[in-house]
Amino acid sequence: MINDCKILKELPAGGQKTVHLAEHPTIGLVVIKKGAIKSFTSLERIKREVELLSELKSEYYPQQYHFNIDIKTKEFEIVEDYIEGSTLREAMKSFTTVEQIFQLLQYITNGLSIIWERNIVHRDLKPENIIIRKSGMPCIIDLGIARFLDLESLTKTISPMGPCTPIYAAPEQLTNNKNIIDHRTDFFGLGIISLELFLGVHPFDPTYLENHFSIVENILQNKFLLETKQVKRDERMAELASKTLQTQPFERFRNHQLLQSFIQKHLQK
Amino acid sequence: MKVYHQTGFRHNWNIDSFQQHVGDGLIYSPINIDADKLLHLDVSVKQTGFLDPQLYLLNEAKGNLPTYPYFPGNIKPDYATPDLDTSHLQLAQLCVDFQLQNSFEYIVIPTRYYADNPTSYFLQSSDYFVLPFCDYLKEKGIQKKILLSVIVKGIMLTDDERRNEALNWITGHMCIDGVYLIFEDNFTSKQIKDFDFLLNALMFIKVLKDNGMEVHLGYNNTEAILYSIAMPDSVSIGSYENLRSFGIKRFQDLENGPMRGPRARLYSSQLFQWMDYQYIDAMSKLVEHYENYFDESEYRPLMFTPDYNWQFQKPEPYKHYFYVFNRQIKSLPVSQGDRMETIKAQIKKALSLFRTIEESVLLDEDSDGSHLPTWFNVINAFQKEVSK
Repeated sequence: MINDCKILKELPAGGQKTVHLAEHPTIGLVVIKKGAIKSFTSLERIKREVELLSELKSEYYPQQYHFNIDIKTKEFEIVEDYIEGSTLREAMKSFTTVEQIFQLLQYITNGLSIIWERNIVHRDLKPENIIIRKSGMPCIIDLGIARFLDLESLTKTISPMGPCTPIYAAPEQLTNNKNIIDHRTDFFGLGIISLELFLGVHPFDPTYLENHFSIVENILQNKFLLETKQVKRDERMAELASKTLQTQPFERFRNHQLLQSFIQKHLQK
Repeated sequence: MKVYHQTGFRHNWNIDSFQQHVGDGLIYSPINIDADKLLHLDVSVKQTGFLDPQLYLLNEAKGNLPTYPYFPGNIKPDYATPDLDTSHLQLAQLCVDFQLQNSFEYIVIPTRYYADNPTSYFLQSSDYFVLPFCDYLKEKGIQKKILLSVIVKGIMLTDDERRNEALNWITGHMCIDGVYLIFEDNFTSKQIKDFDFLLNALMFIKVLKDNGMEVHLGYNNTEAILYSIAMPDSVSIGSYENLRSFGIKRFQDLENGPMRGPRARLYSSQLFQWMDYQYIDAMSKLVEHYENYFDESEYRPLMFTPDYNWQFQKPEPYKHYFYVFNRQIKSLPVSQGDRMETIKAQIKKALSLFRTIEESVLLDEDSDGSHLPTWFNVINAFQKEVSK
């Protein structure tokens, strides 16, 4: 399939992989990802992500077209949908009012509930991993470190930190307490993203908290902002934070239905 | 708030009482009732209750447990923990099917009991019980509510790390609706008088309620009244002491009845106390209008006749307790704030009544209401926590 594609340009990529924008004669614009398989664990993660995306078939996730492993070169290649739009990082300014944030949050949780229902935790929610389509609907990308709760954990128990983007991670990821990773871990990431949209700054940023800790240290100490000099506190955002940004998962929303009904309640007002 | 009969030996007393409209349902105990007999009980005494599967010790063939199709020894002789690796799905299916056949209100997921929980306890409980039960119920399209059995050990109440671990685990299962919660009771006194234990138990229930879960408390003694301020969905009433306090001994020794004859006691709702009949006898001679300290019920006239032979095998004191305690629970205010204030006022009144009684009759620590000051303080402490 890759041979049928015409490479258009290289796209920014993280880690060891290369990402290209290409055009397929029948599908249209696609993304081609290639990279090295460094270990059994990385191979397993890639396989799980590919299998999941090929099953999901939802507008909230990119469609997968092709997956191949080259045993000789120990490389993988994936062809998937090119999602036209901007990352939430780039589109942050379009979501500043509480209503806009809750509307976006409703769409994102609708999308995530598809994987939560399958006992899968995304574990890497951040503005860079949410693409806002031209229609305004979000598309959730990069399930590369998703945790499949029904499958054996791929995370080494001895690692001091579990797989994550630290400044968007829940405390249990930062302390690699993998036994308590579940859907509520994603609620924490959503809490950070929502407050960051509202405040315009990362809610655990020491500059605005006026302390000398790092963002990660502030997450571990549960020190976060609900307002800045520019943005006044909003009770709806404060309530959302109180049920998503708690250190212990049992202090967060218990399930996505409760989170969704909370969002719905505030959207109706 | 509902009241369930915690059944055991003499479950007929509970069934009789329930059929006289005392309590909202029954919790059935496999060690005490043959599976076939349970299956043939009228659905009206099962459809508002549930089964405690009692796999606490996995393969201990106590009482009638081996008559149950899901009993591990019926799946494989000498069934042991490693066998769960290969047969947990079968066990889940048999246990769910049996509960469905009986038309219970809830489906209950069993739990194991250990003197000291192994480090893998919660992971194993998820793998062997929670996930296979939930998957099977989902596969069958069953809409009944699912309760997870949880034994809360003392350390889960006192040690923050163990408490958080337990609460994170219980609340982490999206497929369950609530818990069948049992506080392990290792106290030697008949009433729990430990301030920290009681306050932490209330906070434990509160967290589960804050998570939107149903909380059904098993093996309650009169503490059920105190626990009611954390707004659980149900509390339990039981006849003998081993049904009002959870100890694993009940599942280790073959008990076709109480191991030793306990002294007969009578419950008084005004005193929040089971009173040794010897003191009632003394009160009858020394305290004016002594009968007013005890509740009215259809059993009272018989019990208060001079020739009533008090002994633990008689149903009247227990049926009286079911009736009185159920009425007491049902009379509690619906709102949490009012409930706390009402119980505090009633405790003060009870303490005053004890002072009057003890002007003439001295009572021992199992009859003297000495748990009530602790209850009062615990309610104050809980009120403070709730208002934070």
